[in-house]
Amino acid sequence: MKTLSKSEIQFLLLKLHSLTGIIPIGLFLVFHLGFNSLRTVGVQQYQFGIDLINNMPYLLWIEVLCIHIPILFHSFMGFYVAYQGKFNVFRYAYPRNWMYTLQRVTGGVVFLFLVYHIGTTLFPKMIEGKHLFEASPFLIGIMNEQMSTWSGRLIYLVGILSATFHFANGLWGFCISWGLLIGKDAQRNAGIAFMFVGLVLALWGVATMAAFALDPVSVEPVFSKGMSL
Amino acid sequence: MSQTVLIKIRRKDNPNAAPYWETFELPEKPFANVISCLQDIQKNPVNIGGVRVKPVVWDCNCLEEVCGSCTMVINGKVRQACAALIDPLEKPITLEPMSKFPAVRDLQVDRARMFKDLEQAHAWIDIDGTHDIGEGPAIDQETRHKAYELSQCMTCGCCLESCPQYTLDNNFLGPAVFSQARYFNMHPTGAMHKDKRLEPLMKEGGIANCGNAQNCAAVCPKHIPLTESIAEIGRQTTFHLIKKLFVE
Repeated sequence: MKTLSKSEIQFLLLKLHSLTGIIPIGLFLVFHLGFNSLRTVGVQQYQFGIDLINNMPYLLWIEVLCIHIPILFHSFMGFYVAYQGKFNVFRYAYPRNWMYTLQRVTGGVVFLFLVYHIGTTLFPKMIEGKHLFEASPFLIGIMNEQMSTWSGRLIYLVGILSATFHFANGLWGFCISWGLLIGKDAQRNAGIAFMFVGLVLALWGVATMAAFALDPVSVEPVFSKGMSL
Repeated sequence: MSQTVLIKIRRKDNPNAAPYWETFELPEKPFANVISCLQDIQKNPVNIGGVRVKPVVWDCNCLEEVCGSCTMVINGKVRQACAALIDPLEKPITLEPMSKFPAVRDLQVDRARMFKDLEQAHAWIDIDGTHDIGEGPAIDQETRHKAYELSQCMTCGCCLESCPQYTLDNNFLGPAVFSQARYFNMHPTGAMHKDKRLEPLMKEGGIANCGNAQNCAAVCPKHIPLTESIAEIGRQTTFHLIKKLFVE
């Protein structure tokens, strides 16, 4: 078997960086924003959705292998990629160069947001051992609290806008990098179409935020501890 | 009363010297361009302070925007000095050497890296060796049109100067090389050595290092569809990668 050189590994890691941004991270983002928007229907529906996820078999494995490790890898490679480039958007102020710059900036912002987001939701959930049906009332309580202050709302707004932009523009970059979008017009049209996708995702997220902020309802576990199904 | 034009030049006495700005005042001549102004400075190298200085050094050759050697940063943007008419330029005019290539002196830089990188990417078509390998296949009209667009690259370096991913100290190959690999891969005889051109692009500094800022196509004086070439090479390397990983 042929061993890969360091230079070939760097190429493969960069390709994997581009791929992990879409699968699984991009898919997860769509799923996450979509699932959370159940809150716009009602807190019971939202609780039902969160209960479903928290009672999934192999949840920890799915979270670690399909979400946490890919995000850590994508972030690490992202910082490496951003460090390699040299911004020149003030000298060459073309729209695409702005997107290039924003892609790197939003990547960093999303990373910081995720540290905050995971640190205030998943982390306390793990520490306090809120599993299965205990998870949703706990998480709903945290989100009600987060969305009750303007600082919390601002942090989430910046986080959601950055993540959805980063995904929409990253989808465009992925399509070029992997050779799915070739022609100049195709690149431009897809760029516009993907921005609409990003906008819809952003609105989805903001609508969920609004539902939490306008109607902070607490809930009890559907099944309490010791109660058999 | 004749008008004058001020030209500010970022100078450097040798590759390791500290750069400094020097301003020259020249009488404005009709239809003058940056090269003709530099020639006027060479004839009478006296700066705005009236001091006689070393004449400014620059590169030029064809004087019709096809050789690429007079590429420099004019009023902050990279372009060819021979095609930069003085009249429409904002005054005072600033001239800087390209920043992504090793400095030689004043406005002169060493673009050798571009030519080495073209060599790496096998940017030529293999022709007869010790024996005649016969005529190549015919090329259809559409391919020839596309090939002509790509063939206009003069290795001037504008794309690299404006590229945020290309720096003095990294080994990124850059859009010009990707476009040339595409150019020779689309030629039926060149396509026989397709893999030889794709392999070097699938390493550190290769196609995966492109950040899609697309400045290259925006500044290219020949309007070469560089971003299309990048995407096309992206496609070719994707197929090559799948072939390498899962087929062979």
